Amino acid sequence: MRLNKFANASGVALFGALFVVFITQITARFVFNHPMAWTDELAVILYIWIVLWGAAFVVKSKEHVVFDLLYNGVSSTVQLGMRLVGSVALAGLMGKALAGNWDYILFMRRENTPVLGISFFWVFLPFVFLLVSLVVRSVWSVWRILRQTQDERI
Amino acid sequence: MSNALLLMFAVLVSLLLIRVPIAFGMLAASIAYLIFKGQDLGLAAEQVLNGLYNGYVLLAVPLFIFAANVMNAGTISERLFDFAKAAVGRMRGGLAQVDILVSVIFSGMSGSAIADAAGPGLVTIKEMLKKPEYTPGFAGAVVVASATIGPIIPPSIPMVIYALVSGTSVGALFLGGVIPGLIMAVMLMLGVHWVAVRRNMPRDTSVKWAHVPRIVARGLLPLSLPVVLLTGIYTGAFTPTEAAAVAALHALVLAGVVYRALDWKGLFAVTLETVRASTIVTIIIASAYLMNYVFTAEGVPASLAAWVNSLELTQIQFLLLVNVMFLVLGCFLDVSVMLLVFVPMLIPAAKLLGIDLVHFGVVVVVNMMIGLVTPPFGMLLFVTNALTGIPLKAMIREGWLFVGLLISALILFTFVPQTVLWLPQSMGYKTL
Repeated sequence: MRLNKFANASGVALFGALFVVFITQITARFVFNHPMAWTDELAVILYIWIVLWGAAFVVKSKEHVVFDLLYNGVSSTVQLGMRLVGSVALAGLMGKALAGNWDYILFMRRENTPVLGISFFWVFLPFVFLLVSLVVRSVWSVWRILRQTQDERI
Repeated sequence: MSNALLLMFAVLVSLLLIRVPIAFGMLAASIAYLIFKGQDLGLAAEQVLNGLYNGYVLLAVPLFIFAANVMNAGTISERLFDFAKAAVGRMRGGLAQVDILVSVIFSGMSGSAIADAAGPGLVTIKEMLKKPEYTPGFAGAVVVASATIGPIIPPSIPMVIYALVSGTSVGALFLGGVIPGLIMAVMLMLGVHWVAVRRNMPRDTSVKWAHVPRIVARGLLPLSLPVVLLTGIYTGAFTPTEAAAVAALHALVLAGVVYRALDWKGLFAVTLETVRASTIVTIIIASAYLMNYVFTAEGVPASLAAWVNSLELTQIQFLLLVNVMFLVLGCFLDVSVMLLVFVPMLIPAAKLLGIDLVHFGVVVVVNMMIGLVTPPFGMLLFVTNALTGIPLKAMIREGWLFVGLLISALILFTFVPQTVLWLPQSMGYKTL
């Protein structure tokens, strides 16, 4: 619960920062007639963080856009089976992809953003959070489904 | 089609059918493709992250969502409602007409159909349900149909995404949506009037003339926003992204300082909701970057273009075919999937046939907005149902007339490109 609050508050703080950056940019351009290059770059970096952080920790699985026409039309046992297959597939594929993607992001640490000179490692890092979160969530959901079916048998 | 591509489609379709979120299904299917091809899996991070890093124009999306959320939380919708009631509330079925007018005004500030239904739409539904002559189904159907205007009259989130995948100018697309949006509004108003006369709905108690100046004054501040935004975008003073930030700031000042309808706690909730909604939209876009990389690597758009070319279709035949395809797909798929997966495949073909990409974009977006109101998968129906409890069945039963009107508007825009292109061209846009 506390972790959840922290994830939400961080998301809100990131968005607040994005908004302030934008207002700074517009004020600089229109009021002081002095456009700044760093605001564009920082805004994009913040946005990458907001989206990947949000997908990893803020938005719950069931809040995402899903196609549920079939799912809603089948029995609860079949639904359970669908969730199991989906979770196993996600855990497997994302888990398999984890190492290669971590390598890419680690490789990018040698390159810096043009204006602010921030290492791309820091810009791209939250993508790893997303993959890890997907693996953990899927494994957790597999475990819960298996336990649930076991309980029902007993 | 290569085996790897077939495998990707098979994985994608199976994952989506068993209700894996669309964004993650796309990501997982593309990863399956990379594994099958023995390619570096780091391509996933590379495509997704570089896509996001270079997608500056996408920043307009969270800011427009934020602006709309702040307006809805800050009683701005209620003020617009009073204003519109003073303007068209005297007609038969007045509240339904009010809803359409409010949608048009709100469209000039927000770029999302969902925000339109959840904000001003909800306000008018509540008012309509207080009166016996508006059945819940009719009230819901009018709100849902008029919410489709939101992303047609600029600003528009789907048009920003279309600009990104097609390389067209956001400004030209925005201008191209103005007249179609107004035409849709007029057609819906005529439809409402027809129903109101046929059902002999009584005229609403009209607003007293003495109150009109005060109501207009109260509505003036929110009404100034579309004017500022549109002038800013049309004269080129703002980029669409900056316009989005200005819209958000305007809404924030109105809601927080002028009307004092939004405190810190409310602001936190609104911002969190913005983070949520922006993430849900953008993560699909992010996954689509990877999937489109696969499509391009496999030469799908090019072979589709060659195939369409071999059919020797005329422009109109191609557009009609596209319209039918998206109307059908729109019954089942989300707008973002159609825009990000299917539209990029069709663009080379449209180019080859010499179709103006701004015209194509507006037609496609109007089409997809109709998809939001057609069952079984109609996001606007779901949102309105969730917010008001009006049963889907009732809305769908009363909604066919409006869907028919919207489709006839779509046919008009398809056959007469000038409905879309006249305004951008008169402001200096030239077909490439």
